[in-house]
Amino acid sequence: MSERKRLSPLLPVAGAVLAGLAIFSCSGGEQAGPANTPASADGPRDTLVVGFQSDADLLMSVVYQSASDSHVMSGIFADTYKATMDCQLDYKPYIAKSWEFSEDGTQISMKLQEGFQWADGTPLTAHDMAFTYELIRDPLVASPRLTYTEYMTEDSPVVVGDYELLWKFTRAYDQITMTAHTGLPPVPKHKLEGADRATLRGNPLVREPLASGPFKIEQWLPNEKIVLVPNDNYQGPDEFKPSLNRVIFKILPEYATRLVELENGSTDVAEAILVADADRIRKDHPDITMHRRGWRSMDYVTWNQLEHADYKAKKANVAEGEQVDWNDVKRHPIFGDRAVRRALAKAVSVDKLMADLLTSETGEVYAKRSVSTITPALCNTHNNDIKPMPFDVDTAKAELAAAGWVDTDGDGIRDKGGVDLSWKLMTNAGNARRAKGAIIMQAQFKDIGAKVEIETVESNTFFERLRKKDYESALSGWSAGLFVDMSTMWKSGDAQEFNFPSYANPQVDELIDAALAEPDPAKNALMWKEIQGIIYEDQPYLFLYWMDEIVGVHGRFDNAKVDVLSPFHELWTWSVDPNQVKYAR
Amino acid sequence: MFSYIVRKLLLAIPLLIGVITLIFGLIELSPGDATDRFFTPETPPEVRELIEQKWGLDKPAGHRYLLMIGNLVRGDFGRSIFQERPVFDIIFEALPNTILLSLVSLLIIQFVGITLGTIQAMRQYTPSDAGISVVSLFFYSMPRFWLALMLQLIFALMWPILPSSGMTDAVMHDYMTPFQQFLDYCKHLILPGCALGIASAAGIARYMRSSLLEVIRQDYIRTARAKGLSETTITVKHGMRNALLPIITILGLQLPFLFSGSVLVETIFAWPGMGRLIVEAIFTQDTPVIIGCFFVMTLLVVAGNLIADILYALVDPRIRYS
Repeated sequence: MSERKRLSPLLPVAGAVLAGLAIFSCSGGEQAGPANTPASADGPRDTLVVGFQSDADLLMSVVYQSASDSHVMSGIFADTYKATMDCQLDYKPYIAKSWEFSEDGTQISMKLQEGFQWADGTPLTAHDMAFTYELIRDPLVASPRLTYTEYMTEDSPVVVGDYELLWKFTRAYDQITMTAHTGLPPVPKHKLEGADRATLRGNPLVREPLASGPFKIEQWLPNEKIVLVPNDNYQGPDEFKPSLNRVIFKILPEYATRLVELENGSTDVAEAILVADADRIRKDHPDITMHRRGWRSMDYVTWNQLEHADYKAKKANVAEGEQVDWNDVKRHPIFGDRAVRRALAKAVSVDKLMADLLTSETGEVYAKRSVSTITPALCNTHNNDIKPMPFDVDTAKAELAAAGWVDTDGDGIRDKGGVDLSWKLMTNAGNARRAKGAIIMQAQFKDIGAKVEIETVESNTFFERLRKKDYESALSGWSAGLFVDMSTMWKSGDAQEFNFPSYANPQVDELIDAALAEPDPAKNALMWKEIQGIIYEDQPYLFLYWMDEIVGVHGRFDNAKVDVLSPFHELWTWSVDPNQVKYAR
Repeated sequence: MFSYIVRKLLLAIPLLIGVITLIFGLIELSPGDATDRFFTPETPPEVRELIEQKWGLDKPAGHRYLLMIGNLVRGDFGRSIFQERPVFDIIFEALPNTILLSLVSLLIIQFVGITLGTIQAMRQYTPSDAGISVVSLFFYSMPRFWLALMLQLIFALMWPILPSSGMTDAVMHDYMTPFQQFLDYCKHLILPGCALGIASAAGIARYMRSSLLEVIRQDYIRTARAKGLSETTITVKHGMRNALLPIITILGLQLPFLFSGSVLVETIFAWPGMGRLIVEAIFTQDTPVIIGCFFVMTLLVVAGNLIADILYALVDPRIRYS
């Protein structure tokens, strides 16, 4: 009997899979909207979908912590001022209609716009602003914004009338910073007056905020998306009225996924795009525009000037809360010497680092030499006259030899007093740019007779060790603040937790105090510039480069504002030509 | 059977305590703590101290451990340090999404694995058998996260027929008809389900192949053939029931792997499940959320193993638990 040929069992399976895929390809989908989509009265408006790195946590100005919180809040809350950036922070009227400094600079008289209201119709008044600062001061709240009130009097701001405030300070300081410190978006007093302040972060208003700005939250699916729609109750100036139907923050923690979604059209904005990917996207997707955000973050190498084992031992012997006197700690044999730090700076070609790590295939450079921890975006305060250290291997070798570092034993590594010119360079895991940068620098240091061992550690461990000064050198980075205050990083003393290199220069300490106390922006800018010059000469860091962050935005969006203040700034201005609308709902 | 189930559940208690103690110990040994997130130049040190005091992070580890166990016994998972929301709420927002993904992956594992293993057994030593073996080994060896990225690249970018992330279409889902919404959910489950399940399916295929080959050599199968039954009837009706016994045993063991695999797959596909929740909680050292998640996952693993044991007893009448 001949065997009947059997149909392959795979065939029905394959058929089912193909049929399923066909159904799915035709069903719903991002491209087509429902057939009965109603257009708005002004013509169709679009939806902006932003690929967001992480979900928001706390949508309240008094307690928010993350960048995600800040981005969402900027859409749903009216700010006291509208911030712009043109070489320095500049403030324009928003809720605050006008404000004036007193002659001695210790008071600000502020008048508010009438007409702003909360989404429940309650007017937004000076009482809300005063209450906001009362919450910040309350230790039960543990507000991260506590420093805003550092130089305010206990009763500040004083409510003069429903739409008038008087801000009082114990001393005058930089007026831009003073203005910023009075600019926190207000919270609704009528909703929070009786709230338990110890658990304010758990208050329902934090997750279901009462909007006062151009947008409000329509939907928040945790770890999925946050949907903003125009706030019907918004009564502010017309210039802030949104031109979009919706803004959707889609939570995409993985970088590769954010890129895929931008390229396949699922999202319209992706921030922090790597240089190599930006090149590819430009080529493959001419409808996506790559925006430069500005100099917001930098990489640097910090040299610990204290011998870390001795510091650790001394720290263990002081009582809780007491500080170690750096004068009692042994200096690091290599980095404790200013001349050596300056020589090492000449051994590294920062231009090569920028070329290898931050330059596109077409030759576009997304970095510039760094000479300061003040971002070049603050061009009024950044010292543009500082000449970066030249890459000069011969001079580096000569300076090291002059400092006593010569290869006495012929092993290719310089030494002095029995100590090799050898150290560990710590960097955090998961950062490919820094990993490559460390390898490049390792080779460059080898050329001048130094041996560097790269130590890659997990991020939490990395930051803990930096804080505890449990390192020799570290390749790290800063995200630049837009308020100029160099004290946390450069004032000496163990209390300055962010002074990672244990830098101590009494002249710098004095100048920082003077600059912080100087209210005139022009005068204090000069002081900051002088401070930057001194620090750069001392080389507590090997200053590397500032990076230009790349943000990809779909080209159909007009007025897309991408700048150093935010990768999606002033969302109410973003609009789409009616003929190019993709999502008509 | 009832006493067996009760005994298994009672044994889960020391298991839960052991897991929580281990996790708590690991968190304590890891560098930093939850206040690290507040360590920025803009946040004054006194705020960090206030937060430490508020959450008892300034107290000794032993004190905090006992407090935590006491709360857990009362069913209180505590509050998230960052969101200050009850951990119970946070977990139970994410849990159904992980269960859904795991169930779909389990279906894929069983369906694909059993189908391929059966085909291989029926076509032993043929080119189909060899081809499926090679492909199975390829997928079995592949790291899940790499497979996830490749699936995303191929089916969401190069040939964009499936969505690259999320549970639903972020823009249009709410405007779809119920049937379209159902299809939308299904569509979004395909890639993460496959990423999580295909490697294990390859393993199941191997088990199924060898198990079925063993079964179809039995005397009763020869008797069935002699009676003139078709190969399909013999294989499916008579052979598979016995061949599936080891597969059911493995079913319970797959759950922990699904949960651990979901950590990476959920992150890549932005699936709002417990895997992602755990990753974020670990990075921010949000201890109450970490402990709560592991507590729930341990319970799920125990439940999964129990279900597997019950299924085994149902399928094989020789198995009786006492």
